[in-house]
Amino acid sequence: MKLAVVVQRYGADLNGGAELHSRYVAEHLARHAEVEVLTTCATDYITWRNELKPGFEQVNGIPVRRFPVSRERDADDFGRRSTQVFEEPHSIAAELAWLRSEGPTSPSLIHHLRRHGDTYDYCIFFSYRYYHAYHGIRVARRRALLVPTAERDPALGLRIFGENFRGVRALMYNSYEERALINAVSNNETVPGVVVGVGSEVPARPEPQRFRQATGIEGPVLIYVGRIDENKGCRELFDYFERYASRSPGLTLVLIGNPVMPVPTHPGIRPLGYVTDREKFDAMAAADLLIMPSPYESLSMVTLEAWALGRPVLANGRCDVLCGQCIRSNAGLYYQSYEEFAETLHTIVSNSALRAALGVNGRAYFDTHYTWPVIERKYLDMLDRLDREAPGQEDRPEPLPGWLGRRRRDLLPGRQVVERLPAGPAPSAGGSQYSSDS
Amino acid sequence: MAEFNIQADSVDVTRIMEQIRQRIREKRGTDYTEQQIRELATVKVERFLDPRHVRSDLVEHYRQLEPPAALEPIPHERAGRAPGPAPEPVEFDSHTIYMSSRGPMGKLIRLIRKLLNPILRLFFNPDPVVLALARQGEINAWMLQILQQESDLAERVTKQFERAGAKFVAREELDALNFEVLNNLVVEMTRLSLDMKNHRMLVESVAGRLDFDERRARALESVVQRRSPVSPAVADGEVDESTSSTGSGRTRRRRRRSRRRPQTAETEGTGTDNAAAAGTVTQSEATEPVPSPGTATPPGDTAAPAGAPPRSHGVPISAPAVEPSPADLQQTPSPYAPDPDSAPAPASVSAGEQAPAPVPSIQGPSDAPSPAAAPATERVPPAAPKRDVGPDDQ
Repeated sequence: MKLAVVVQRYGADLNGGAELHSRYVAEHLARHAEVEVLTTCATDYITWRNELKPGFEQVNGIPVRRFPVSRERDADDFGRRSTQVFEEPHSIAAELAWLRSEGPTSPSLIHHLRRHGDTYDYCIFFSYRYYHAYHGIRVARRRALLVPTAERDPALGLRIFGENFRGVRALMYNSYEERALINAVSNNETVPGVVVGVGSEVPARPEPQRFRQATGIEGPVLIYVGRIDENKGCRELFDYFERYASRSPGLTLVLIGNPVMPVPTHPGIRPLGYVTDREKFDAMAAADLLIMPSPYESLSMVTLEAWALGRPVLANGRCDVLCGQCIRSNAGLYYQSYEEFAETLHTIVSNSALRAALGVNGRAYFDTHYTWPVIERKYLDMLDRLDREAPGQEDRPEPLPGWLGRRRRDLLPGRQVVERLPAGPAPSAGGSQYSSDS
Repeated sequence: MAEFNIQADSVDVTRIMEQIRQRIREKRGTDYTEQQIRELATVKVERFLDPRHVRSDLVEHYRQLEPPAALEPIPHERAGRAPGPAPEPVEFDSHTIYMSSRGPMGKLIRLIRKLLNPILRLFFNPDPVVLALARQGEINAWMLQILQQESDLAERVTKQFERAGAKFVAREELDALNFEVLNNLVVEMTRLSLDMKNHRMLVESVAGRLDFDERRARALESVVQRRSPVSPAVADGEVDESTSSTGSGRTRRRRRRSRRRPQTAETEGTGTDNAAAAGTVTQSEATEPVPSPGTATPPGDTAAPAGAPPRSHGVPISAPAVEPSPADLQQTPSPYAPDPDSAPAPASVSAGEQAPAPVPSIQGPSDAPSPAAAPATERVPPAAPKRDVGPDDQ
């Protein structure tokens, strides 16, 4: 079996969520099939500038074929078009223009799929919202599997993506909440889908003492791992933590990740910047709990890693995925206001028995659902199922409306569409086995 | 946070969150009233309305602001640049170049010119010149029309500007009025702030007095309650009802008598006092032994040996500010006791006091307010003196 993993960026040193996800999946599926990665020459997701050479190379033993991006992203143009399709009634032509503006526009990658797509048994596309996934799925729809990595953001409400959600052979969801969102926005319940997520490789014996000695941090530790960004909820986190620390000093907030916003100067806040994986896991093991303040997550890998290390999680309750995972795992609490933040944080920090119990549950949840053998098995089972089942749709994608139809401004703003979608944690999966998935 | 009884498999995050949210609701209900929540909600508005945040030099600062320069009317036409009367338009056509203004001779001249026209054309073609001049005449007429329209427009704009200028003048007058209002507001806010401080101090003063009075009342009640359980008068159901609140003159007298007991022992039991005159003396006074001078008696120390001299010490009715021990009350006169020379008030005497004279009138046990209060004191309504008593023992 030959598989193509199609993703917007790919590299051993890229730590973006979907990119890392795709690399993990490619490297683990390579144990069971022949895997080739199709990606662009870009490394910067802001500009999509061609920084790597086009052609063929090996990354961690996986063959990678890179294609150039034909045009870099114009931030002003992209912002203007985003406002147009997210906030205003618009047309399909405007959505397609937005997609081109977003990038990474790589017609050569699509051309390669068109010409050589038959050489792959299946193409696994990552991130529904990018150029490569939209046009690639339309080219290779009979062999296309999609890992949507969808969040509750306005792009999900664009009309052009609905056809892709209905047209792929299968969807590999990250969470039940993501599946509920996509089902609601595209009516694709008949398309085979499974909630998979992604595994993580956590060291068996992290050394928390090493972290404590290196940093000199004593007392209870709250840790955040990820890009320090306002979009990740860090501003709210800092605000809440400073208020909490003014009443209950002694707690230290450790930040791991590159800051893209100013970190407040506070004796209880310790930004450590980018650290190695070993240091990261040492720090997570030394922490009393992990804080995940992001309101938009399709799957938080660092949350899974915290659970793998037996650490409870305090998550932003406004993120349906995190909230749902906390409930399903019984391994974390969540907050939606400062009062809840303070109470839940105090509850976890002050109650060691509860902390330990949540950690045990997290570990069990991770072992049941997110270890690599489980993840690999879910992918392989889906591929076997697709092998057995004939494709239920025509080879040709749903045609776009004509010239005039594409320019008719009768589409609702993307944000308005998403706001109408069901919110909140998805209902329980009905057991831990993914076999219950359709 | 109350500890959960935790087994890992028994943890229910949903239930924990419900508990936490319930606790937050309870905390809000306890800590914050609805009024407080509303105050918190409007705190940003109040920051601007709070007189404490008004700059004291605001008026001065406002006064120092330079007023905008007065608007000068824009002259419609500057002197020396008046365009003057418009020139008359000249009509130009293909025949104009041949015309002459010399009357009948001119016709001949025009004829000659026309005849010579072919020769003229040998030198140059006059037709484009004629055409250009004719077109220029049309253009001039057209420009004149446009200028006329622009002039009308400028006139209308000028009128609009004049109207705006009038508004600016009115605005300047309004600014002066605003300044005056602002000035008055600052003055009034300052005055209100001072008044508020005064009232706050007044309230604190009243609260202090009230607190003092309450503590004094409690001290009195506690003294009476401590002494009453061993009182023979209680056993007999003969207790003065007004013990805890009235009759200070009686007490004062008894204390003084107690101090002079060694010298005036022979007068005990013969005289009466103002309290007795008021008819509110308990029978227990006749049986209460008297401790030796200068000896503090514990509250329950009423079982004096038989034959001991009768106790004649008095309990100060007005209690000190802090609740004293009964011994202190016996030994230290209250600075707040009323003047014994003042009009006699209905006296109250503790159950342990000795009555030097028969009790004129005593309410029966049926007047006891409650079973709980009955052992301590039984309230006896003040009665009018039935007879004129003898001289005071002082």
